[in-house]
Amino acid sequence: MDDRANTRRPPERTPERTIETVVARLGLTLAQPLGGRLIQPVLDLMISTLARRHPDAFERMAELGEADLLVDPSDLPAAFLLHVGQKPSLRVVERSTVATARVRGAFAALLDLFEGRIDGDALFFSRDLTIEGDTELVVGMRNALDGEDFDIAEDFGSLFGPLARLPLRRPLTSLAGVLGNLHEVLLAPALRRLEQVERRLGRLEEGKR
Amino acid sequence: MASFELICPAGTLAALRAAVDAGADSVYVGFRDETNARNFPGLNFSRKELAQGVAYAHARGKQVFVAINTYPTAGNAGAWHRAVDDAADNGADAVILADLGLLDYAARSRPKLRLHLSVQASAANPEAIGLYRDAFGVRRVVLPRVLTINDIAKLTSEIDIDTEVFVFGGMCPMAEGRCSLSSYATGRSPNRNGVCSPASHVRYETRGSKLVSRLGAFTINTFDEEEPAGYPTLCKGRFTTHDKASYLFEEPTSLNALHLLPDLKAAGVKALKIEGRQRGKAYIAEVVSACRLALDRFDRGLPYDATVLDRVTEGGKDTAGAYGRAWR
Repeated sequence: MDDRANTRRPPERTPERTIETVVARLGLTLAQPLGGRLIQPVLDLMISTLARRHPDAFERMAELGEADLLVDPSDLPAAFLLHVGQKPSLRVVERSTVATARVRGAFAALLDLFEGRIDGDALFFSRDLTIEGDTELVVGMRNALDGEDFDIAEDFGSLFGPLARLPLRRPLTSLAGVLGNLHEVLLAPALRRLEQVERRLGRLEEGKR
Repeated sequence: MASFELICPAGTLAALRAAVDAGADSVYVGFRDETNARNFPGLNFSRKELAQGVAYAHARGKQVFVAINTYPTAGNAGAWHRAVDDAADNGADAVILADLGLLDYAARSRPKLRLHLSVQASAANPEAIGLYRDAFGVRRVVLPRVLTINDIAKLTSEIDIDTEVFVFGGMCPMAEGRCSLSSYATGRSPNRNGVCSPASHVRYETRGSKLVSRLGAFTINTFDEEEPAGYPTLCKGRFTTHDKASYLFEEPTSLNALHLLPDLKAAGVKALKIEGRQRGKAYIAEVVSACRLALDRFDRGLPYDATVLDRVTEGGKDTAGAYGRAWR
């Protein structure tokens, strides 16, 4: 076998990730007009929950020093600013926000990366992930997260208290599978509608300036 | 009996568990400092994590090796000596060393500890390997990635210790342990500080639709839109000479020698190594599983797919490297 150029394949997206992307877009679109008032308490709770459940990862992140990582999902209407250091925090910001480093990619890919389900280097090689700014911060963050077994459903399931103990995960996953198969039928119109709302909000924002 | 022992990388405890679960026979790791050649921020093992990793592997009949394969600076070998002692005390099955002084320390102070010679020693002839065996009791040599299959077969027939070669992962085209390209560009040595192209000196810039990678003051590459990217190492840089941009040493590509299993077996190779302690646990799980499947099918005389790992390769390409190439 001589040197070979391999066929480029986009990352696989599960039905669950598709739904999570739609939910995140919807949430951010509806929350944006209210500023951070609606969403910030949720983000604070998410960070404190993760810190409590994964102290080793947060310890490694703290070793990176005080820095801001802009997590920029290319298919969401806004970005997230993750502050690492002694008091980590997460905020919704505009994607033009200046930060120590920036990571940009599809929301589903970023979630896969967070959970360690996909290889960040492979995403970078295939140009599905873009890195700018302080590369050391990005590499350190990736390694700190990858050393831990994060699971969004498990980690945030506890936020729902007794409801989390209900055997909902399997039926919800099955539902997600069905919805994923019917993506074009069910979700595509919703996404188009969402884009219309986003454009309308964008025009309103432009009008204010 | 299996034809090869499969040696797999792990930069974190989660990656070690992934490697063991995916079919590694042995996992190699490093401490979180400059005593090993993958000293990346946030990567590698504390002493406590090594003990946990060893317990996990041993409970499943697998081994853990500790790479302590950088070169101490003169008069400053304390961290390297402690690494050898802590590896032994935490149950490591072998240490992978390169420095003569450190081999001497390990052989004298830990006579029961199994010693492997790191690829960082670039030992590529029977006289050198014989010296490491006779002087320090080295039991296995990891061969440099610059040898052809014929070189490996000849060398293996002339020595009486195990040989281990890289089968998949990063493709370093240089004489390892002796390359100064990254040192020249950054002032930090892969062989002393443990990191080639340190992230602290790497910058990626987006210029229109192009991606520019830089290392220190040097532009390493400019990738067109949709063109697969690679690591920012000088040996895989694309440089312009006489108005023509080209790769001087090697293209962004990964080593893939899975299709050479029959040749490697005929050459007498004992162990196959996967590169990539700096890669994530998803990569480890995928690559180890694929290699395990290939080795198992090879041992049963069944055909196997050597191209299954295409999507994780650097630059979207793979190569058999020096194993199957005539030098230009």
